[in-house]
Amino acid sequence: MREIIKMIVVLTVLSSFSGGLLAAIRGGTMEKIEYQQLVFVKGPAIRNILEGCSNDPIVDRFKIKDGDIERSFFVGIFDGKANTVAFEGVGKGFGGDMGLMVGVNIDDDKIIGMGVTTHSETPGIGSKAQTDPKFPNQFKGLAAIEPCKVKPDGGEIDAISGATVTSRGVCVGVTDATEIYKRLKPQIAEKIQEFK
Amino acid sequence: MAKTITQEFTKGLWDEIPPFRLVLGLCPVLAVTKSVENGLGMGVAVVFVLVCSNMLVSLLRNIIPSKVRIACFIVIIATFVIVVELLMQAYAYPLFLKLGIFIPLIVVNCVVLGRAEAFAYKNGPVRSIVDGFGIGIGFTISLTALGALREVFGSGTFFGMSVFGPSFQPFTFMVEAPGAFVCLGLMLSLMNLAGNK
Amino acid sequence: MVDNNMVDTNKFIVSHAPFWHDGSKISTRNYNIALAALPAILLGIIFYGMPAVGVISLSISSAIIWEFVFRRVTKRSNTIGDGSAAIIGMLFGMLLPATAPWWLVILGTFVAVVIGKQIYGGIGANPFNPVVVAIAILMISWKDLFDFNEALMNYDFDFAMVYPLAALKHFGVSAVDSFNAGDLLMGKQSGGIGSTFGLGLIAGGIYLIIRGIIRWEIALSFLAGVFITALIFNMTDSARYAGPVIHLFAGYTLIGAFFLATEDSSSPVNFIPMLIYGVGAGFLTVLIRNIGVYVDGVIFAILIMNLTSPLLDKIKPKAIGKAA
Repeated sequence: MREIIKMIVVLTVLSSFSGGLLAAIRGGTMEKIEYQQLVFVKGPAIRNILEGCSNDPIVDRFKIKDGDIERSFFVGIFDGKANTVAFEGVGKGFGGDMGLMVGVNIDDDKIIGMGVTTHSETPGIGSKAQTDPKFPNQFKGLAAIEPCKVKPDGGEIDAISGATVTSRGVCVGVTDATEIYKRLKPQIAEKIQEFK
Repeated sequence: MAKTITQEFTKGLWDEIPPFRLVLGLCPVLAVTKSVENGLGMGVAVVFVLVCSNMLVSLLRNIIPSKVRIACFIVIIATFVIVVELLMQAYAYPLFLKLGIFIPLIVVNCVVLGRAEAFAYKNGPVRSIVDGFGIGIGFTISLTALGALREVFGSGTFFGMSVFGPSFQPFTFMVEAPGAFVCLGLMLSLMNLAGNK
Repeated sequence: MVDNNMVDTNKFIVSHAPFWHDGSKISTRNYNIALAALPAILLGIIFYGMPAVGVISLSISSAIIWEFVFRRVTKRSNTIGDGSAAIIGMLFGMLLPATAPWWLVILGTFVAVVIGKQIYGGIGANPFNPVVVAIAILMISWKDLFDFNEALMNYDFDFAMVYPLAALKHFGVSAVDSFNAGDLLMGKQSGGIGSTFGLGLIAGGIYLIIRGIIRWEIALSFLAGVFITALIFNMTDSARYAGPVIHLFAGYTLIGAFFLATEDSSSPVNFIPMLIYGVGAGFLTVLIRNIGVYVDGVIFAILIMNLTSPLLDKIKPKAIGKAA
């Protein structure tokens, strides 16, 4: 009996010690990890969209609560004015969810750029949405308050040949982003003042 | 039997160098050594885990009941592995992306568990730390050497820098999975050749 | 054939049964193989000139040197006299295009002799054909050097200098219509130095079969496997899959059937296993050529069948007087 109690006590103490240590370290590194993930996963897309801005959009970011979800917005400063935000939308592709970044100019509500961040599309076909600049460039200048569609569906985006599902998924993602934008525009406009 | 502290350290560098003499922990050895950088990063992670877990196991060796010792070792090792994983994410994210799943898999690396069971559970903390350090360094050296061999011939680079110039056509086989087995085998046989005088 | 060079037999240990016995020494066998390969090599040299001579001689000499160096470094007896290393070098050279760079040849013979053969304990102990191992490893690494069309682009002959299998893979059956069996047999196609002269290879193969050095069961069943599989493919869709003639006489098929698949220690020794081994290799060859991504499947087919050879040898005749 004593032996069993000893086992239980030792294991419990050890586990709780381990749990405490991990919680402490996780708390300490969480912010840093989030920043690293932004830099290496979403960073390239964000930089691409906000090309030519004079600040570091990954540092200049803010969060807005949208229902249960907290969304991150990255601010781009052009000509000394903080008038552009980049944020994430989600679309459904051929191989699952696709994350994409959309940059919007809040002065004229126009999309200034789009880039796919995470995807699991077929390499060489659907993955072109991320690698071939021609496709994302079509989104530049579209109105950020209207849904966006591929040509077969009555929109104005040329689908990637052989990857209609992916193209459609990207459009759904952009539409998702525009809806977020419409919903949160007042808060975005308010928060972005801080960066001016 | 009684070895000096120095001997405890140096045995990990040659007599008991993990992948080549103990032939333990082969999974990361084969999988991550596509480049020197990966090998070195993996090695450093293992050194940290090994030293910390050896120290803790050795300190607690009189408290841990022998019937649940493996469970206790795993808890200790897993804790330090997660610590390494978090630290690596925070400070060396690109390396973390390359090593991926193999960082969490250090938990089941035989070298770490093997040293806890075979050495730290029976020896004092100072000796255990030295032992963990020696074995860990040996592991790192092996991984780095294998990574260097495979990267230099398989991609023509060393730490990402070109070695042979642009005319070199890389021996792609070396950075693929079968190349890892062939390289490891050749290095093992060279070690045996050098050792069996 | 139970020569004291077979394994290191100074303790009277021989490798496990069964054995072939034909009374000759290993070196005699190897000289016969070299003799049988000569016509194919000669035609390659006539076609491709000095570069072919260079590749073949560098290949043979570097193979012998690797064998010598390895045996010396590992403090074993010197075995270059048995001719096995020379044969490995020769066959390896025959499979290469005449334009192969020097480092490819030297590296290839290293892989063949050291990783393919000596690592396992030397002659008679290798589970795979060393030459095939080397070609497979190099082919994975440097695909473009083994693209015979590209490699041999600078040669100008009075016949279409096209590698039939590559043309078949990339441009379909119509691209190989111009090939007829006679031209292919006379080596009027692009390919390795010693792998294109079909008639020479067949003659050499028949010579070796008559001398009892290679097993007719393996060579013939290999060719039959290729023929039947190609025929079946051709019959199901003749617009997509070429007929058996192309598959038989192009690429490495003939050299594979007579010189590679028949290698002693990596092929089975009993009658039925030999048939299965040959047909299997032929079947896989055509399968890889028609469906797989590689242009020629002989190399990988033989490797895969080498792997099965110890298992196949479990099928053996019942011992007399023993109950089932």
